[in-house]
Parts: sequence; C-alpha cells; structure tokens
Amino acid sequence: MSVKRFSPVRALAAYAITAIFLVPILWMFSTSFRLPIDYMSTSNMLIPSQVTLEHYRDLLRGDLLGKAMNSLIVAIGTTVLAIAVAFPAAYALVRMRFPKGLDLTFLMFVLLVKLTPPISLAIPLYQVLRSLGLLDTLAGLILVYQVYALPFAIWMLLGFIRDVPVEYEEAAMVDGVPLLRRLRSIVLPIMTPGLIATSVFVVILSWNEFAYALLFIQSPDKFTLPTFIATLITEDETFWGQLSAVGLMASLPILVMVGFVQKGLTRGFSGGLK
Amino acid sequence: MHTQSFRVTLALLAPALILFFALAIYPLIRLFALSLFATDYGFDGATWVGLENYADLIGHRFFRTAAWNTLVFAVLATLSQVGLGLVLALLVNGRLPGSRFVLPLLLMPYVLSTMVVTAIWRAWYHYDFGFLNNALRGLDLPPVEWLFNPDIAMLSLVLVDTWQTTPLTFLIILAGLQAVPEEVYEAAEVDGAGPVRVFFAITLPLLTPYLFLAALLRSVDAFKIFDKVFALTGGGPGLATETLSMYVYRLAFRFFDVGAASAAAIIMVVISGLLALVYAARILRKKT
Repeated sequence: MSVKRFSPVRALAAYAITAIFLVPILWMFSTSFRLPIDYMSTSNMLIPSQVTLEHYRDLLRGDLLGKAMNSLIVAIGTTVLAIAVAFPAAYALVRMRFPKGLDLTFLMFVLLVKLTPPISLAIPLYQVLRSLGLLDTLAGLILVYQVYALPFAIWMLLGFIRDVPVEYEEAAMVDGVPLLRRLRSIVLPIMTPGLIATSVFVVILSWNEFAYALLFIQSPDKFTLPTFIATLITEDETFWGQLSAVGLMASLPILVMVGFVQKGLTRGFSGGLK
Repeated sequence: MHTQSFRVTLALLAPALILFFALAIYPLIRLFALSLFATDYGFDGATWVGLENYADLIGHRFFRTAAWNTLVFAVLATLSQVGLGLVLALLVNGRLPGSRFVLPLLLMPYVLSTMVVTAIWRAWYHYDFGFLNNALRGLDLPPVEWLFNPDIAMLSLVLVDTWQTTPLTFLIILAGLQAVPEEVYEAAEVDGAGPVRVFFAITLPLLTPYLFLAALLRSVDAFKIFDKVFALTGGGPGLATETLSMYVYRLAFRFFDVGAASAAAIIMVVISGLLALVYAARILRKKT
C-alpha cells in the first residue's frame, strides 16, 4: 500500500478501468459516423466499415444550431446572473460581521435549497413563471436555473474569497478606498481563477439541465439541447446515428472544459468541508 | 474588516435574498398551502381538504412503491458508487504514469448531460442490437431484457447512474488519500505492517470523512433522481422504477392532481431537509 512504490499491476488495472469507463463515449463518437447498417448489428464493431457524415447533415438540415443557440443563451445568462448575485453575497458572508449568527442561518438555508429536489419546487415555480409571463421563455429558464446555480455559486465562491489575503483590503481601507473600488481593484483580480472555475461549473450545470427545461419550455423552437435530445430518444434504433451526432456536439464544448473542472470539482462539491 | 455598517452588508446580500425569496421561500410556502387543497392548478375553485392529501398518499400503493423504489435506488447507487470510487482511487493514487491524462478522461462521464448519457445507454440496453447483449452473445451467454424486465430495470438504472457519477466519488476519495501524509505509511512500513494491515489500520480510518462526504452527496442526489428514470424507463415496467420525483411529476404535470402532488413534494422537501441537517451538522463540527 506504500504510495511511493510503482506497481505495474496496479497501473494496468487503473488504465483498464479508465478504458472501460470510456467505451460508451467512444461508442457514441464512432456511431455518429457509422451507417445504420453498421450499428444495427449483432456485433460490437467500434471502427466503422465506412465513414459517413449523413447524421450530421440531417441534424444541420433540422434546427440543431437553433437549439444550440438556445442552450448557449441560457448557459451564459444563468452564469452571468448567478455570479453577479452570488459574488457580493459570498463576499458579505466571508468579510462582514453578522448579528446573532444570521450568516450561518443564511448559509444553512442556501444548503437546504441546494439539496431540495428540483421537481418539488417545479409546481409553484410553474405558477410563479406563468404569473410573471415568463413561462415558455428563455429568460424564465435563466431565472429558475438560479435555484441550482445560486446555492452552488455562493458555496463555491466562499472558499475562493477566504483565500484572498485580508491585509491588502485592510491597507486600502486605511487609505480610504471605498468598498466598490476595493472589490474591483483588489478582490476580483486576485480571485479571477476562482471566478472562472465557478463560472465553468455553472455553465455546465445549465447547459446540461433537463427537468426545468422540460417543464417550463413548450415551444420546440425554444428547446435547449437536452430537451431536443429527449425528443430524439425513441425505440427506433435507426436514429442512433443522429442521436450520437447530437450527443457528441452537445458534449464537445463541455468535454473541452473538463481540465478546468477537475481542479475545482472536489472543492465545489465538498461545500467548505475541507 | 468588520467596520462596515450592517446596511452595506444588507445591500450586498439583497440581490441574493430577493432571488431566494422569489424562487424558494415563496414557492415553498405556496407549495405547502397547495398541499392542503384539492385543486387542479391554483387556489381558484380549490377545495380545502386539510391534511387529507397526506393521509391519502401514505395509504396509496403507488406512492409507497415510489418511496420504496427511491430508497432502494439511493442505497444501491450510493454503495456501488462509493465502493467503485474507492477502488479506483486506490488504484490511481501514488505513482501512475500519465495520471495527468487519466484523471480528465475518467471525469468525462460525469460532465455529460444526463440526456446524452441516457441516449447512449438506451442504445446499449437494446435487446437485439445493444452493445451489452452483443457482448453477452459473444460470450455465449443469453441476452438480457435490461429495461423491460421488472427485476432488472432498477439495476440497469443503478448501472447508468454509477457509470455517470462514480468519477465524482472517485475524485473526493482520491483527495482524501492524497491528504494522508507520506510519513504515516513510512512509519507503518518500518514497523513491519503489511499492506492489508496498513489499509485497515491507517488508510481507512483517515479516509472515513471523505467516504462519508461522498456517500452523503450521492444519496442526496440519488434521492432526487428524475431525468434518467424519465428517459430510460418512464418509471416502468409497471411501477418497477417509479421514483418519488417521477411520481410528483406525473401527478402534477400529467394528471393535474396538484393538491396531492404538492403534498408528495412537501414530503420530499422534509426528507431532503433532514439530509441537509446531517450535512450541516458535519460542516459545523468541522468548523469548531
């Protein structure tokens, strides 16, 4: 069990399990370029006998780009709103004095929202969105995604703000620099990596979200990629090629960001435990 | 940094407070109020029934099946994901050539959209041409009705969830392993402790908080499960994979029994509130 010693058997086992984990993604990649006659078969050949782009062509002839654009608008809108609201809140929670443990109460409430099953809030949120006239709009989706994004962003930013040395701010305060300028010229520059990591997570969260997109968007031209993919999932195996192609295109932007994610992941999810 | 007035603090918190009020506090109050009525949408024309919706639910076979299935799913998913995450973390920890590439690759399933994941696995579970049954036939084993056999559908759901989220438990446990100081192992080796002894006497006890955290995060998430059930089995065959989220969805958005659905949703909120308490106790203990 010694950490230092290199064991070829252990390394091989690690590589093997990693490879097994990747097979479904490789299958998706290869199926998106395979002819239906290739993948509707009883043998597991991952290498296509003939490469085809027909699935991508079919998708582009449909409204794939429109759906991708909807996903992009929602992801960016959700992230900008979440960070803009979460950053001042997290800053106050770290740096300001609260009477009677109000800060802890607030954080526990945020935690409760984070753990509440989204579907249980869906009934009243549907009615809230409808009365605001935001049902079936991307703006409405951006708003309700704050249910996921805000608790997550607040908890993750807390740690990054704690890492900013308080001495710089104190020095500036002695010099009479006002709060907003201190935030802009000291705190934000120091924690840029933390802001980026948090943003990447919120982007992924909203890019992938399904339940609220399903419940609160009815017009197909406003579907995001996950709800669009859900409409393609049928019992009909001839669609596997198209499904793989859209799945791959929906995943590529996220898989590119996975390097960023790795560093922040344990941090973001342990909720200040470490 | 404590010289700011409380008004500044409040101004910084205000946007978050407003959003939380609109998106969580008010909706939760409204949800609870709705749960006391028989209604198909809001309060107009609703009939006051008090706690009847709750009593009806608890006596209802469908609700009890959904609650039981959710528990079974959460336990099976959590155990398999923490177990597999631990094995993976032990394998990857320490000197592994190319671990710079192995880690991001292992993470990939976790960042995929659940809809992409279900799209892949619906195909993999296909009876005639699916990857899994093809593999079984290649080994001269009989093919399996992955999603249409009521005894197997739940396990198929757990398998997909395990494939997708083990990267998370793995990363948490790996962080725990890397926090164990090297000297501890060296000392144990000097004392002549074998690898098995070292694992049970040193690694496992030091790892317990991380295993607990991984299990807590996964059980909270598993309790919410909706997307996968929706797109893989629709709760079937029969009620074999019906979970609480699926039940609330069906009742509210398919059958428009909003009163009863709200009661079921409140029960879910209470259960997740209890889980939040466990989580919170953990964080507070760490702080003091």
